[in-house]
Amino acid sequence: MGEKKIVAFCCENSSYKAAEAVAVTESSVLDLVDIVRLPCSGKVEIGMVLKCLEKDHPGVLILSCPVDNCKYITGNVRAKKRVKMVKKALQNAGIDENRVHMDFISSVDTYKFITIVKEMNDRLLKDRPPAGHD
Amino acid sequence: MVKGFKNLLILGCGSCVTVCMTGGEKEVGILASTLRLANKKKGVSMEIIEDTIERQCDREFFDDVKDKIEQADAVLSMACGVGVQFCSEIFSGKIVLPALNTKFYGATEEQGVWTERCAGCGDCVLDKFGGVCPIARCSKSLLNGPCGGSQDGKCEVDPENIDCGWQIIYDRLKSLGLLSRLEENEPVKDWSSGRDGGPGKIVREDMLL
Amino acid sequence: MSELKAGSNLERVLQEGHFAVTAELGPPKSADVEIIKTKAAHLKGNVDAVNITDNQTAIVRMSSIGAGVLAMQEGLEPVIQITCRDRNRIAIQSDVLGAYALGLKNILCLTGDHQVFGNHSTSKNVFDMDSIQLIQTLKDMRDKKVFICGDEIKNSKKAPVVEPRIFIGGAANPFGDPFEFRVIRLAKKVNAGVDFIQTQCIYDMERFEKWMEQVRKRGLHKKVKILAGLTPLKSEGMARYMRDSVAGLTVPDYYLERLSKVEDKAAEGIKICVEQIKRLQEIEGVAGIHLMAIEWERRVPEIVEAAGLLPRP
Repeated sequence: MGEKKIVAFCCENSSYKAAEAVAVTESSVLDLVDIVRLPCSGKVEIGMVLKCLEKDHPGVLILSCPVDNCKYITGNVRAKKRVKMVKKALQNAGIDENRVHMDFISSVDTYKFITIVKEMNDRLLKDRPPAGHD
Repeated sequence: MVKGFKNLLILGCGSCVTVCMTGGEKEVGILASTLRLANKKKGVSMEIIEDTIERQCDREFFDDVKDKIEQADAVLSMACGVGVQFCSEIFSGKIVLPALNTKFYGATEEQGVWTERCAGCGDCVLDKFGGVCPIARCSKSLLNGPCGGSQDGKCEVDPENIDCGWQIIYDRLKSLGLLSRLEENEPVKDWSSGRDGGPGKIVREDMLL
Repeated sequence: MSELKAGSNLERVLQEGHFAVTAELGPPKSADVEIIKTKAAHLKGNVDAVNITDNQTAIVRMSSIGAGVLAMQEGLEPVIQITCRDRNRIAIQSDVLGAYALGLKNILCLTGDHQVFGNHSTSKNVFDMDSIQLIQTLKDMRDKKVFICGDEIKNSKKAPVVEPRIFIGGAANPFGDPFEFRVIRLAKKVNAGVDFIQTQCIYDMERFEKWMEQVRKRGLHKKVKILAGLTPLKSEGMARYMRDSVAGLTVPDYYLERLSKVEDKAAEGIKICVEQIKRLQEIEGVAGIHLMAIEWERRVPEIVEAAGLLPRP
C-alpha cells in the first residue's frame, strides 16, 4: 500500500502477547498497525514517539501492562509520565495530542486490543478506505 | 524566536546540560521533532539540522560542526548561557539563540531531581559551615541564620521545594560535633569577589601559549 | 543610674525598671498622611514607643523614616525599622545618619520577609547583611563611631565626629525552628550589641516560658531588655488563620474554644490579651510588652488600661 500505518509500541509481557493471540484469529486488525516490541512500556522514549509522527505515521499507540501489574514494577508508570510529556510537546507544536494514545491491556485481552486499534484507525483515518479494500 | 529562518541548526552540548537532561543529544532530537511537526502544521518550510558537541565552552569542539554552523541561517544552542554566548562570539555574524534558561549550579540529588548548591560568590565559606553553603542554600543568603521563616526544616519561601539551608547547616555541624561554630558572629561578607565586583576573569600565566 | 546610650523615651523607661509598652503602626500604602494621624491619636500617651514598620511583608508602604517623622510630629516616639531585604550597607548607614539627624533614636534591626510574599515578587533582593550584622553595624556607628569600612563618622578630616546615637533593637522568635538554636541566636544578637528585643507574638505561654528559662540560664535577660510580643485576637477566623497560615506560630486550642463559646469575640480576644499581659508580668526577665494590634490600634488604649499599665511613666 505504501501508506503509513499507526505505530503500536507493545510491551512484550502483555500487549505483544495479545497481538500474537489476535494473529491466530480471523481479525485483520494487525494490517492496520506497525508493531514495535518493547521489553517494557517504560522503555518508550519521548523522541521515538515524536519521530513516528514526524515521519507521517498517523498515530501512535503505547500499550502497556495494567497498573500494578508491570513486571518491572514502575515501568508503566514511567511510560505514562513520558506520554504526558509527548502530549505537551504536541500541544506546543499545535498538533492534535489525541494522535498519541496510551492504554493498558493484559496478554489475554485480544478483544480490547482489536477495539483500541480499530478505534484509533477509524478516528484518525476517516478519509482512507478501510483496511482490506484497495 | 526561530521564525523566518530557512536553515536552523539545533546544537546540543555533551556536558552539564546532558547531565541534567535538558540539552544533550536526546533533547536535541525531541526539540527538532517537535519543531518539524509544528512547522509542517503551519506550512512553514525550514530545514532543521541536529548535532551535539562535547562542550560549547571550549573553542576546539566547535571545529567538528564548523561547516554546519556556517551553512545555517541561525543556531539554536541547547547549551547553558555560557555556550550560547561563546558560540556567538566564535562565529561572529551568525545568529545564535538560547534554547534554555540557565538557572543555577547544582547537583543531581536523584535521577530527575536537580537542586542548587553554589552561587559562585568567589569567596568560599564551606569550611565554616560544615560543607553546606549559606549563600546558595539560604533564600536570603544569611551568614548568621536561620531567620524566623524556618519551619520543620523547610524554607517559608517555598516549603514544598526548598529545604531551610540553615537547618541543614545546623544538623550537619551537630553531627560533626562542631555546633559551637554557630555561636560566633559571622561578619559582613565581601561580595566583590563574585558577580557584584563585575564580570570575572581568571588567567593562568603558566598556561598561556 | 548609668548614662543613657541614646536618650530615647523607651530607653529611659526600661532603664528605670518600668514594665515597658510598645505598639506598632503600619505606614500607609500611599502618600496619605491622615492615616498616620488617626492611628497616632489612639496610641499617644498609651505606649512608650511605637514601631513604624519597614515595607512589612515586602509590600510597598511609605518609608519607615518618613512615616516615623510624621508620627513624631503627632507626639509619638517612633521605633524605626530597617530590614536587610531592600537596602545594602551603603543605603542603611546613610538612612541611620538621616534618621538620627531627624530626631529618631530607636531602630529595630530585622532580616526582613522575602519579597516573594509581597506585591513585587519579581524584584531583586539585597540581603547584603543579615540582622546580626546590622545590629553590629549600628553598635559600631554609635560606640566606635565608625562605618563598616572603618572610616570615622565625620564630614572631613577637621570636622567633628558626629555619630548616630541609636537605641538598638532586634527581634527574636521563640517558636521558630530549630528550637534549641533560638536562644543561641539571641545570644549572638546580644554579642553584636543589641539593647532591646521584641519577640514574635505569643499565644503558647508554656513554650515561651521554656524559652525564657533558657534565656535566663545564659544570663541574657540581664544584658538585654526583652519585650514580649502580643497580638489580640479579633475573631475565631483570625485565630485559625494565625494557627494555620503563619509560619512558626502556634495558637493553643483553648483560645479557639473560648472564642467559639461567646458572642462578642472581639471583647473575649481583648480579655485574653489582658490575661496574657498579667501572666507575662510574672515571668522573670520580661521587661515589657510589644503590642501588635495591626489595623486595630484603637483598642490599644483599653488593653493597656485594663492591664493596669496606665498612666505611662
